Amino acid sequence: MSIPGLGQLAPQATASTNRTISLTPFGEWRFDVPRSSTAGVKVRLVSGTAERDGVELALSQTYTFVHTMKSKLFTWTGCTLEISGDCNDSVKQYPVVEDSPMVSYGNLHFELQKLRTEADTLAARSGRRPGPRVMVCGPPSSGKTSLARTLTALATRMHGQPLVANLDPGEGLLSLPGTLSAAVFGNLMDVEEPAGGFGVGSTPSSGPSAVPVKLPIVYYLGREKVNDDVQLWRDLTRKLASSIRAKFNEDEAVRCSGLILDTPAVSLEPVEIENLALAVREFAINVVVTLGSPKLELELQRVFAQETTPLGEVISILMLEQSDGVQQRDKHFAQFTREAAIKEYFFGDAKRTLSPSTQSVSFDEVAIFKLPDDSEDYDPSQISDTPQILEPAEITAEMSHWTLAVMNASVNDPPETIRKAPVMGFIAVADVDEDRRRLKILSPVTSRLGNRPLVWGRWPEPYINLLG
Amino acid sequence: MSDNAADVADDYRQALEDLTMNSRIEIATLTNIARENAGHGHEITEVLQNHIKKVPPARTLPALYVLDSVVKNVPTPYALYFGPKLYSVFMGAYTKVDNATRRKMEEMLKTWKEPVPGSISTKPVFPPEHVRPIENALIAARNVAYAAQQNSFHGQQQLLRGPGGRPSAPARDTPTPPTARPISYQVGPPQGQPPFPGPNGQPPPHLAEPVQQQPYPMRPLSTPNMIPARGTPQQLTPSVGPLHPPPQPAMREAYGTPQPRPGISVEKLKDDIQQLIIAEKAEFARDPHDTSKQSRLKALLDLQTIIQSQDMPQDQLMLVKKRIAELAVNMRASSAAPLPAYTHTPTPPAVSQQPTPVPPVAAVARPPPFAPAAAAPPGGLSLDALFGQGAKGALATLLSGAVQKPASPQAPVQQRFPPPPPPATAPLPSVAVPAAVRSTPPQKPAEPTKPAAAPALDPAALLAMLRQSGILSAAGTPPAAACSSIPPPTTAPGVFPSTNAPPVVQPYQPPGHGNRIWAGSLKQFRPLLAFQTHDGLGTPCTQCGRRFQSNEDGRRKKTAHMDWHFRVHQRIAEAEKRGQHRSWYVDEMDWIKSREAIDVDYVAPEDNQSGGDYDYDYNGQTKSGAHASSGPGGGGSSLRGKSAQNKKQPQYIPVPEDQRINTTCPICQERFEMTWLDEAQEWVWMDTVKVPQPGNLPPRVYHASCHKEAARDGGGGGGGGTGTTSSSSYPHHQQNQNWNAKGTPEPVLGKRKAEVSLFPGGGSVSVKRERF
Repeated sequence: MSIPGLGQLAPQATASTNRTISLTPFGEWRFDVPRSSTAGVKVRLVSGTAERDGVELALSQTYTFVHTMKSKLFTWTGCTLEISGDCNDSVKQYPVVEDSPMVSYGNLHFELQKLRTEADTLAARSGRRPGPRVMVCGPPSSGKTSLARTLTALATRMHGQPLVANLDPGEGLLSLPGTLSAAVFGNLMDVEEPAGGFGVGSTPSSGPSAVPVKLPIVYYLGREKVNDDVQLWRDLTRKLASSIRAKFNEDEAVRCSGLILDTPAVSLEPVEIENLALAVREFAINVVVTLGSPKLELELQRVFAQETTPLGEVISILMLEQSDGVQQRDKHFAQFTREAAIKEYFFGDAKRTLSPSTQSVSFDEVAIFKLPDDSEDYDPSQISDTPQILEPAEITAEMSHWTLAVMNASVNDPPETIRKAPVMGFIAVADVDEDRRRLKILSPVTSRLGNRPLVWGRWPEPYINLLG
Repeated sequence: MSDNAADVADDYRQALEDLTMNSRIEIATLTNIARENAGHGHEITEVLQNHIKKVPPARTLPALYVLDSVVKNVPTPYALYFGPKLYSVFMGAYTKVDNATRRKMEEMLKTWKEPVPGSISTKPVFPPEHVRPIENALIAARNVAYAAQQNSFHGQQQLLRGPGGRPSAPARDTPTPPTARPISYQVGPPQGQPPFPGPNGQPPPHLAEPVQQQPYPMRPLSTPNMIPARGTPQQLTPSVGPLHPPPQPAMREAYGTPQPRPGISVEKLKDDIQQLIIAEKAEFARDPHDTSKQSRLKALLDLQTIIQSQDMPQDQLMLVKKRIAELAVNMRASSAAPLPAYTHTPTPPAVSQQPTPVPPVAAVARPPPFAPAAAAPPGGLSLDALFGQGAKGALATLLSGAVQKPASPQAPVQQRFPPPPPPATAPLPSVAVPAAVRSTPPQKPAEPTKPAAAPALDPAALLAMLRQSGILSAAGTPPAAACSSIPPPTTAPGVFPSTNAPPVVQPYQPPGHGNRIWAGSLKQFRPLLAFQTHDGLGTPCTQCGRRFQSNEDGRRKKTAHMDWHFRVHQRIAEAEKRGQHRSWYVDEMDWIKSREAIDVDYVAPEDNQSGGDYDYDYNGQTKSGAHASSGPGGGGSSLRGKSAQNKKQPQYIPVPEDQRINTTCPICQERFEMTWLDEAQEWVWMDTVKVPQPGNLPPRVYHASCHKEAARDGGGGGGGGTGTTSSSSYPHHQQNQNWNAKGTPEPVLGKRKAEVSLFPGGGSVSVKRERF
């Protein structure tokens, strides 16, 4: 029975964009939800199996992919998808399955799984050998993070609990950009999140979460690129590595599952190679995956020709093809995702609305540190990449709209300690009233900051419209 | 990258011309250009070197900083290129700049002795053999300056008699106080007396008063600013300076082998090989298709493995070392362009102006002990003298090392050699030989050792030779062969006593770790694997797609998982009314201690013997080690739903900060597990109670269930023996009150405001005490 005026428009509206596509095994549905699409794209798996970066979709559940999301759904076995909403999409089929890069990725996962099982059985016999430590590296836009995510998801699917670490300050793992972080992934990852479970939306909040949250350890670089402060990046990398070693010692399940390490993009500069080498040594990496760059593979092979891990394992260096579906991300896209992350950190997303607290604090109540300005003079005792000591920042209107890191330290700690302390969270400076000497800040929690120092970095950039 | 080396060089020259001041940005740019054109590194090195020589003093420092930056940021190849020239570049610049700049240069020099800050390499920026000569020169100069200062202290009039009327302080009549001179330096100078003209073209002074020609005064380290810069820097530009190297091999020896070693240092050898490898890699990188380079590199790498993996007898080491030395010569000659004889490299172009007198033999032969203290300064002061030493570089060190080896008594090869050369301080027979010949004599004595020592300068030949001589097993590829104890028939049996070789060598690849993953094998499609990530894992959860096995264990996990879904849905509806917020991240220790909460590890309440104390999954964890794989709630998601069902107050305490508080339960002796309690936003010990102790003793912590049971039984606290019997039991509601007293009015756990405790573990201990 139909009610006049109702039930007629709705079906038409959806019918216009509703469509069903079928994928053969190893087929991919690549999509790119435009910014204009406010409702996003809804996808339902009608039959078969499908996954996004290793996370399986449940049958007959409707998933919503929000705007600006670029990703793909992949199927090992073939599937039928029902899609509604506007998006730029394409279907890529691989008649010869060996042509699909996913073959290699999947096989790689099983190789790693073998190592995990081995570590497991060794652990049962009182051995302490960790599972595989994998590093993913490659040039920009080669699909590093997607591969890391896929390997993570496949591992958790097999009920492993791998540690995932990110050394690329360009985008944060369970954190804002400008940070290095790590977390154990032992559970389902968020398919709908643009970052596929790696985004800040998957971190703990005071309430329940439909997708299990992950608890990260975060360090603050405050820079977009590693090269902006190589020294600090290296120091933080070492800190992160030592935290991870401690974690491995502490937690057997995590140790056996090993580590998956995502790295900043490299363009084969010596200093970048050196950074990767540092990461390999610090994290005792035994599997290095380079994506789509034979040169990088060669370079790393040369570096590690004679080396083994501290445990005496061979360091496998292998190159995998990058997917031809990797999307180039332009500056605007990057800025949008960055701002979306900041927004999500404070306000949550469609599934979980968060209420940050706006606080008014006196200039004297907060201790804000900043990096000194870049020095004009060249100083041979500190090559250009030397870490800079924090100095107290003068609070000015310039600070408006910046996101500052709240450090897990005390204001009385030496600057060096503060700089390398783990991050407790972020606050956004909403307004600076220089006359009344008061700051309006947006804090995730309602309590006062106490004696936690704040650090004003240079990344992520101010987000003007956070409160607008 | 430009193909035209000349263009690159030209561009770089022009870029350098524009560098007039110390600007970090400009220097960084120049460094980047050098980095990008590393393929033309040699040209750039030349350009920069010439620039530093020619540039007016005021602009010398920025130019040097370019060198510094280039070398530190792009060590390969620039550190290699600049290394041998370092002395001439540095000292040349040093002579012409003012004191303030010199101080800066000294600071820069200091950084060269250390590894590049932040680099993973522990190697210094420049190897010691390149830096040490400069340091020696500076020390000598300081000593002279010090002596001069002493002098001026005694008689001001002497200042006025300085050469060229400059108000400098010649130390002519006063011997340098011996105390002022480092011992290490006393060896060299006597032979190094440079009978060369002073900076102003004066005739060579008599040996007895050499101080006059001190071209650049340096401040003694301990007495800064005592010596004014004398003369205008311009007067001393290298083009007019007396910058010729004195061809004095004896002195060279003295410098090159500062501490004659009895044997061959394996470390040194490894180092040399390492350097060769780096150089060879640079070569290889330039021309990756050159197979000869590739094979050379491989041979070197193999050799390195061998050296590192076993102890070789001295004589064999020596052979290797000699070969390495030859190789090094070969390589520098080919890579460092026009180095006719490496002895001459640092000589500035301006040599021709003055004749280079051959040092009187008498002066050379004078034994060092008798060298008057006053004679020392010229060695340090005159560039000429110093260049002799600077010309040595790494190669000469290598060579001299090779000469030294025969002297080592334990080397069996010894008898085959000509009589060992006298100690380094004594002049060699070849002292009077002109510079060009210098390089050859040291090599010759070594040659008889091995017939195969023909001038084959290829590492492959070296390996072949090693193999032949039994150091290397003849069979198999070098890395795998790893030289076990096969002593093949040697052409010179006495020379290579195979018994000296260790019989067992570490295998190249540690056995049992052959888990190398090959990219090639990953390309192959294995249909079975797709099954393993899908149906092989069981049936998926209808809500989220997570799969569970259909066996007993899987079903249990799935039940827990579905429970979790249910609870979360329930709580989400609840939470939306309430408002939530992002939690703070945790500190390192808390993160390390946290455990991932996985719904499937939910432990059913049958463990719950003490009626409601076990509200949480991980309480079971604390009590029953059987669920070892289960983690207490780190992510915290699984614990929330449960609490919504059982609206009971949990028994937990925040992890105490007081170090004196026990970390194991005195009753069951199990450690308390630290877990993150989302609702409380704190790190807590679940299922625990804190029992106050009399007096000033810290309170004791028990498992709530243990303690309750013990109290109910009327027992004295089980194995704890802690005297807690008097405290009887603590009913739940009291605990609740306790929590209420802490300022969290809502008894329902889920509604606990997270901001109660912003900082984990903070401030709760005292609150607890209030109650008692």
